Amino acid sequence: MLIEQCAYSNSWRLVSPAAKGLFAACGIVAAFLATSPRATIIPAGIMLAATVLGARVPLRHYLKVALPELVFLAMGVATLAVSVSWDGHIRFHMAGQPELHNIARICGRSLCSITSLLFFCLTTPMSDIIALLRRLGFPEVFLDIMTLGYRTIFVFLEAIHDTTTAQAARLGYATPRLAMRSLGILTANLTMQVWQRSHALHLAALARNNDGPLRFLGGEFRHPERNVCVAAIGGCLLMVLALTGI
Amino acid sequence: MIMTANAPILALHEVAFRYPDGSVGLDGCSLAIERGSRTAILGLNGAGKTTMFLHLNGILRPQSGTVLYDGAPLDYGRHGLHKLRSRVGLVFQNPDSQLFSASVREDVSFGPMNLGLDAQVVRERVSAGLDAVGLTGYADKPVHNLSFGQKKRVCIAGVLTMQPDVIILDEPMAGLDIAMQAEFTRILDRLHAEGLTIIIATHDIDFTYHWADTITILAKGQCDATWEIPQIPAALDRFASYGLGIPHVAELHNTLMKLGVLDNGTGYPRSHQELVDCLNGLHASP
Repeated sequence: MLIEQCAYSNSWRLVSPAAKGLFAACGIVAAFLATSPRATIIPAGIMLAATVLGARVPLRHYLKVALPELVFLAMGVATLAVSVSWDGHIRFHMAGQPELHNIARICGRSLCSITSLLFFCLTTPMSDIIALLRRLGFPEVFLDIMTLGYRTIFVFLEAIHDTTTAQAARLGYATPRLAMRSLGILTANLTMQVWQRSHALHLAALARNNDGPLRFLGGEFRHPERNVCVAAIGGCLLMVLALTGI
Repeated sequence: MIMTANAPILALHEVAFRYPDGSVGLDGCSLAIERGSRTAILGLNGAGKTTMFLHLNGILRPQSGTVLYDGAPLDYGRHGLHKLRSRVGLVFQNPDSQLFSASVREDVSFGPMNLGLDAQVVRERVSAGLDAVGLTGYADKPVHNLSFGQKKRVCIAGVLTMQPDVIILDEPMAGLDIAMQAEFTRILDRLHAEGLTIIIATHDIDFTYHWADTITILAKGQCDATWEIPQIPAALDRFASYGLGIPHVAELHNTLMKLGVLDNGTGYPRSHQELVDCLNGLHASP
């Protein structure tokens, strides 16, 4: 829940999500416009700086969130750069210069895209992102599923915590065999809860006059137009930097 | 819906409902709720309290009998239910079964948005609703970071923003600590002072005796007895027969009357504090 924690506590929490989304989108576009691997590193660095220095997301938290993506990227790059063959002995083959250049470009693009997405999701709570997508005209069903899915993550995390604690208190995880059995019971229990809670949510929606898509009031943000203008200018600069490779 | 002068704001007339598995929800239940009253529905688990509330909000439809709002039978058409649910708000027992959005502001705005109100009006109502439950400044907080009591208050705010005439609360005190219960009582008093009709289901007899105007006992799907609070001390034996406990203050007051310590002139204290004040007053008088 580190992403959640950062999204609610960063200093750009009340900056318009449209502005942050626009800036992040420009970062992703810049990644694809970049003419050289080096040119992707500059927008990626700016995105990192905007997140850590601008929005004041702690670097420690940033690196923790980024670690799985970076490990995934490193593994991908390694498998592209080095191939392994077997002719009685294991042989490692390094990719040639032109391939390495391409790999570096893919790596740079990925890095720039990752930092752009991290900027957006570490500075903007999911409910603001969903509200933004609603304003952008995304399909209602998709957004309703996102809203309920996101909300129920926390409800079921609590249910899982309560159930596993109750099981552990009765030695439910004392041996691997008992742990497997407890996990099975937990799964069965959660399945029932999903059904019961979805029914309860349906009743609650009816009680509050809902008869279709879930409708909510959007958040209030300071100077949204000004923020979007600043984000657009910043985004354009990112793209220019990527194009010129300065 | 046609409004009838002096009719109870909500009424059940011989309402019966069975669930698909055959269990009895309500069995010929009749009840009248007066406008502006504070009614407590008491009953053992499975007595039919939640089923009754779902009928009052039009979510369940009686298999026989009639539910009336302002003296007129409920209209179960789309328009009729829309109107009823904007007038009768229902707060469920478990807040996690009621809160849709991860954002407090969004969830509280859900009801008024469903009423099709203008965004500015909804914004004002959300602000007023959060004020009413003492959660001003929580609009931008994530729901999952709130305490259980705060989540319950968000649920109430979500219903208040629809500006209902009646608010129904299913077990509002369940799971709350003493301080939160006291805060909740203050919120209920404030809402009642503003003219809302309040119906609650509870197992807390002492709270009910202190707070409510009317107590209705629900047993096996039937409204078995209804008392105004001043009638309770004389009906303690029958009250006790339902196995719900009895108000300790009423029992103690009756005993003190029998012993001659207090007499009819002291009135009927409804809380421990009122009884203590009575006794202190006795001691102070020559």
